[in-house]
Formats: sequence, C-alpha cells, structure tokens
Amino acid sequence: MTRAPAPLATTVQERSALIVGQSLPADDAWPIVTGALEFVTDRRVDGMLHAAIAHATVPHALIQSIDVTAARAVPGVVAVLLGGDVPVNALGDDDGDGPVIVDTVVRQLGDPIALVAAVDEATAQAAAAAVTAAYLPLPIVDSARSALEPGAPQLHDKGNVAGHLAFASGDVDAAIRGAYLTVERHVRTPVQEHVALETPGGIAMPDGVGVTVWCGSQFPGVHRRKIARALNIDIADVRLISNPVGGAFGSRNDDPMPVYLAVLAWATRRPVHLKMSREDVMLIGQKRHPFDITTRTGFSSDGRIVASDMTALVDTGPYTTSGPNVLKTSAELSVGPYRMPMARFDGTVVYTNNANGGAFRGYGVPQSAFAIETAMTQAAADLGIDPVELRLMNILRGGDEHALYRHHVTTSLRAAETLQAAAEHAWWRDRAAWRAAATGPWLRGTGIALAMKGVGLGSGKGDTSRARLIVSREGVVQIWAGPNHTGQSIDSSYRQVAADTLGIPMDRIRMTVGDSQLVPEAGSTSSSRSMYAGGEVVRRACVELLDRIETSTGTRVVDPSTCRALIDSGDAEILAEFRLPDSDLGMIPPGQLVTFAPHLVFGCSAQVARLEVNRYTGELHVCGIVCAIDCGTAINPAGVIGQAEGGVTQGLGYAVMEEHLIAGGRPLTKSLETYAIPTSRDVPPIETILVDGSEPTGPMGAKGMSEVVVVPTAPAIAAAVLDAAGVLPDRIPITPERMMRWMSGEQEAIA
Amino acid sequence: MNVNGQRVHPEDPTARLLDFLRDDLDLRAAKEGCGMGECGSCTVLVDGRTVCSCLVLVGQIADSDIVTAEALERSDPPGRPGLTDRLRAELVDHHAPQCGFCIPGLIVSAHAVLTEHLSPTDEQICCGLEGNLCRCTGYRSFVRAIQAVGR
Repeated sequence: MTRAPAPLATTVQERSALIVGQSLPADDAWPIVTGALEFVTDRRVDGMLHAAIAHATVPHALIQSIDVTAARAVPGVVAVLLGGDVPVNALGDDDGDGPVIVDTVVRQLGDPIALVAAVDEATAQAAAAAVTAAYLPLPIVDSARSALEPGAPQLHDKGNVAGHLAFASGDVDAAIRGAYLTVERHVRTPVQEHVALETPGGIAMPDGVGVTVWCGSQFPGVHRRKIARALNIDIADVRLISNPVGGAFGSRNDDPMPVYLAVLAWATRRPVHLKMSREDVMLIGQKRHPFDITTRTGFSSDGRIVASDMTALVDTGPYTTSGPNVLKTSAELSVGPYRMPMARFDGTVVYTNNANGGAFRGYGVPQSAFAIETAMTQAAADLGIDPVELRLMNILRGGDEHALYRHHVTTSLRAAETLQAAAEHAWWRDRAAWRAAATGPWLRGTGIALAMKGVGLGSGKGDTSRARLIVSREGVVQIWAGPNHTGQSIDSSYRQVAADTLGIPMDRIRMTVGDSQLVPEAGSTSSSRSMYAGGEVVRRACVELLDRIETSTGTRVVDPSTCRALIDSGDAEILAEFRLPDSDLGMIPPGQLVTFAPHLVFGCSAQVARLEVNRYTGELHVCGIVCAIDCGTAINPAGVIGQAEGGVTQGLGYAVMEEHLIAGGRPLTKSLETYAIPTSRDVPPIETILVDGSEPTGPMGAKGMSEVVVVPTAPAIAAAVLDAAGVLPDRIPITPERMMRWMSGEQEAIA
Repeated sequence: MNVNGQRVHPEDPTARLLDFLRDDLDLRAAKEGCGMGECGSCTVLVDGRTVCSCLVLVGQIADSDIVTAEALERSDPPGRPGLTDRLRAELVDHHAPQCGFCIPGLIVSAHAVLTEHLSPTDEQICCGLEGNLCRCTGYRSFVRAIQAVGR
C-alpha cells in the first residue's frame, strides 16, 4: 500500500506551526517500504546490453599486450573495449588521475583493462574472464614509507608524492621546548571501506549527440566533466541522473563508474547496464585513506595548550582521487576545536600499489582527530585534570582565531556547549559507578571526545549551490535544487525550508534533485554542505519569489492568483545562487586561500562511550554512546538523529572492527565475509542530543553535521579503554588481539 | 513454485532465486548487496522462513511459496491482518529508511520477528535483524519502529 499524496489545497491554508524543526518522514519513505522504489541499478531499458569489467591480475606491471580474441569470440559479445577505444582515455588532466581503461601500466590489482558489453550478464562476465594480458611485472610499493625510500619504483610521471601541505603559525619547536608537558603520540588509522549497500552501477544510453547516465554520484558536475572529457563531447550533452542510490558516504565521489557506463553506451550506441560485484568494490573501490601520524602537543602546567605539531603520512594508493584535498581537512582539524597560540602541520600523500584512497565521510578528519583527541586524553591523565575541564579550558569558541591558520571561525560554533551537553549525560556523570560495578573478567570504562568539521568545500574554491524555481497557475511551486539525495532525504528538508519561507504547506511544493538536465550545477553532496548550501539556495529562491510577487501584486502571498499574475508578467522563473562565504585569510598568504581551503562554518560533535573490556580475551563490548551535536537549527530533527546514529555506527566500526587489509598489493579482505561492519547486535543504545544554536549564514540557522558525527567515536572509545584497562590505544581498530598486546605491556601503559 | 500467490514456472532450475525474481518476474524489491548471504538485502520468505535469495537455486524450492517485500501482507499471520501495513507505517513514521536499499530485505526479517513475537524485546529484534546489514542508520530506528508495532 502507498499513501496517496495529500490532495492539493485550492486555497492557501493558515499554518499554525513552523514546518522547520518538525520531524518529517522522507519523501520516498513509502516507495522504499513497499519495495517499489527503483534504484539506479534496478533500472531496465528495452534492448539494453549488460557489461562486465576485465581486471588486471597483478598489482603493478607494464602491459605488454592484451588479447581479446577469445573474449570477442564468445557468442553474444557485442563489444570489448580497451583503453584505445576511449576517445580521451583519462579520468583527469593529470597522469595521477589515471586512465579510464588501463592500457600501459597496471597500478593496482583489479585495474580495469577492458570493458565488455554483451547480450546478458553471464556472457559479459564470461567474456571479461577470457580477456588475457601479458605483463612485465614491476616491484610493488606496499607501504607509504617504502614509497618515499630512495630507489622506490615510481608510480607516476611526477613520482610517488601525490600532494604535500605544510603550514606553521609560529615557532612551534621553541614553544614545545618551553612546555611543561609534551604529549608525543604515533598513531595509525586503518583503511575503511564504505560498504554502501548498492554497489556501483547503473545504466547509460546514447541520447542524440550525447549520453544519459543513471548512476550514483555525489558530484554530478565533476562526473559530467569526466564523461565529457573521456568522450570528447560537450558537457551540455552529458545528462546524469544520480538518484535514487543505495548509500554513498563518500564512495560516489571518486567512483569512475559513471564514466565506464558512458563509455560503454557511447561505443555500442546501445543502452548498457553494469553493476559491480561486492568483490569488485572491495578490490578497486576507493576507501578511507590510512594515516600514519606523529604528533606533539605541548601544555603548560595548568593545562593550556602551548602548541600542536602534527606530521601525517597518507597512502592514497595508485591514483590521486581526493588524496591532496583530504589532506587539507586533516591539516585544518589537526588542532581540533581548540585554541592555542600556534600550531604546525606537515602532511604528505603518496602513491602506492595498495587500495585506492578516496573521499569518505569525515574526509581526513577522523584520522587527525584520533591523534589530537587521544593526545588530549593522555594529557588529562598526565596532568591530573578532568578530560572535560582540560578541553573546556582550551576550547575554541565562536568567532575565535583558528589555531593553525589564525582565520576567524563562525560565531555559531558551540563546541563548549556541545561538550558540556555530552558531559551532563548520566553515562558521563556516573562513570565512577560504572567503572566500580565491573565484575568478573570484564573491566569497565567511560571516555569522552570532541570534534569539529568544516561545512562546504572550503574557502577559495568558489563553492556554490544553485536552484531553479517556477510557479504554476494553480499556485504550486516547483523547485529544482542541489546538492542531490544519496539517502539523507535532503529533498524533504529542502521542502521544509521552502514551505516556511513561502508560508505555504509542503504539499504545494514539488522538489526535484539529482537530474542534471533539470537542476542547475549545485556542487557536491559532500563536506556536510547539502543542508547548508542546498537549503540556503532554496531559501533564496523562495525569497526572490516573494519579492517578485510583491513587485507584481503588492502582497507577499503565494496563491493561485498571485502566481498567475507573476506568470502573466513573464517573471515566474527564478534562478538562485548561493556562494558559500569564505573565511578571512588569517595568516594565509594572499592568493593561497584555496591551497589550504580553511572553513568559516563548522559543525561539532561530542561523544561519550561506555564499554567493557575482557581482561583475559581483549574483547571489547561497547555498551552505549552519547552523541551531542552542534548543527545549528535542526531542520528535520529525525533526519539529524538518523544521520547521528548512522555516523556513530560507522565510527564504531572504524574504532573496533573495520580494517581493509592488503599484503603485497593483494587484498586479504575480499568480501563482506572477511570485512565485517556493525550489525544490529553490535550497535549499543545511542543517545543523541541536539544542542541549540544558529548559523547566521545558513538556512533558518542550519549548518551541516553528517560527517562530524563519525569523528569522535573512535577517540571516545579509546579514552574509555584507557579508563577501563589502563592502556591508551595508538591504533584502530581496537581488536581483541591488539588489546591483548597492549594489556600485556607491549605498549607502555600511561595510567 | 508460487511467488506472491502467483503460480510461476522457472525455465532454468539452476538460476538463483534472486535473479529469477528480479530478471524473469520483474520483482526488483529484493536487492543484491553482496551475493554471498552476508548483507541480507535479498531476503525473502520461503515457506514462511527468511532466506537469502542469492543463496538458493530455484530448482531447490520448486514446490515452495515465496513472498517478497512487494507482497509481504500475504504473510500476515491469521488473526493479525494489517501487520505489514502497520510495520511499513511505523518504519516511515520512525524515519527508519534512509537510502532504503536494505529495507526490502530488512522488512521481511522484521515481519518474521513480529510473526514470532507479539511484542518483541530489543534483544529479539536485534537477533532477528542480525542478518540484514544497513550502513545508513545504526539500526536503532528499526528497533524503535518494530517495538512500536509490537505495542
């Protein structure tokens, strides 16, 4: 059964309550629960072909030849495409971006060496398996450190360094020499796989002079440019329809799947369907970058931070993807939400033959935050100061100078209030009783951590969202807006903003996202920007509508008669734009804002974890997480809570379970059998607290929050492990094996 | 074999039930998330039991009754008509679906939990949903929705 849409009101109704701030179901919730919603990979078109990818069978090699004779001879095969069949065989301007289809150098096991199209899926797969290549093996670069060694095999023309970012806002060495306490840490974070449940795929078809692609994308503009480049056609001739899609979390940012689909449809002049297997995604899908971080944090005797110094080595695998950009957000949040006189960051991203890194919810912040937050935890223990007090005495407040770049952050930052909200929860207040009630082999502990994360792509990038709006003679408002929807029901939240701005019920507003033919270029569904950037541009379009109605009719009422007046005056279509505000420069040299891309607006989350550790087996049992959030106005509180619970669960997986393993360029975790993510039995009760606040530049005071909720979970769990077992983890995931090693003294205990 | 009350005659007994449903019968609610029985997105009812349809060949269940998410109400227990509708409504009202890809499989497992337990506990729900991976939610919204049905 589906609920019929509410009948269209013929007169404007007075509304008693604001719609913003109400918890409302997603617009497509009913099609989802009835099984009716058609995801991009569910789509079928008459006469479509099925495709498969032929993968390289070695991690690093020169390709001497590729033999497609057997593949082309399989009955039912329509096309076997090699690199030379792609008009411009490149995913970007730079060699480091890699080709669409690998034709000269294999840089990771599973690199696509051919795309096959056939009459059915089994035939396509059989033909892909029949593609063979002669390889001249190259030595394998199996770690970030070995990539930098003299004489290391070089993966790209420019060498093995994909990016480097360094900044200092003072003489950090001198400050740390003068510190009362210096906490030094060396932490390592794992490769995390997104496990978006719908594997990459979709359908593409030739469309006049261009191509139409149905495929998940978090950045339709970039994907369209990649397709246009590969096919050597105009971007205007690439239509990308990017939802409904089964999850994203960053995975649909760097994913080349839309390009594969377009190339297949272009070459065969037929509709083509392709969906990667889970094993393919585990092999070549982009993943969270692993970081190797050394950090020194200096404190005065009364607990004030005098300086932070962080060095990060990042493995982006064979191709650049988001690597250097991830480093920017890592650098910015290497100082956490804290004030200090000066800081330094030095980060290097390198190429290896390991898993390809890419965008992943949090975008480099979970890694640097694990370092700085566990340093705060250790400092609190060393100084004998309560961990909440220590953080509060150093807390960054709205309008303060950022510790690294010295630019000013938004006045809406409520890090202190967010931390206090988490600390007021019973699970933090009652931590002594929780610890004391430990029985048998189970030790008990409680930990707390804090994080913030920028909203939007960062200053200097020209980050802009756009929307288009028209009205009908019946008084219905149709809006096409972005960013698009990858599972966070952003379109429903846009309607809430529009309804309150226009003063009309939601059922008079139609919202379309995710079709590049209809929605103007609105930027990415990433960097916690959708609610902020998309919500604000929808609000602006609606304000412009009211202004025009007022000019035309003298009222600010949206009803059939005023809409008709607007249409008759030829003024009923609106294009709105929101250029996200840049921060000031701080100490960043003029002209280099985009190099560091600092943020003005930040969301914030503080989390408390309570857990048990088995002293004999090292097992960890996380018993509860408190998640306090500073997101400004919560437009749709149930949506925010849903994002929070999902984010905490991904953070929990990152902290205690998830690690994609690779040895000698060959993955060990090849499927969901060996790569485990949290199930319903792994997730403890999660208590979400929405902290009051309002962002002056956001729609109705809203700002983004969906990434930052992933960040504090791992350091909060690490702090709880310290409380329970007296050892502070220096790497994640905190597996039973690692716990046993730490508890047996292989890592120095600090408490 | 009956699928959602219709008699059907698979041509290829070695076809996976999931492919038969999606490709031959155009019933595409059941999804493939892993193809090895780990994610549960393809869960359907086979003679009233939850089964990963990616792990079953149609020849193995030639005489069975299959129910998919599209027609889950066909499995509402005698004396509890409307169970499926209530479950769907509570999932919607509890903001449980996010991307929604896991839901057509998960709702089949949730229905089975509610068929077995009139008023399931947190533990019973979590055990019943353990085979259904969701990467968006953290599962708590499912627990709240299912408990609301049970009340």
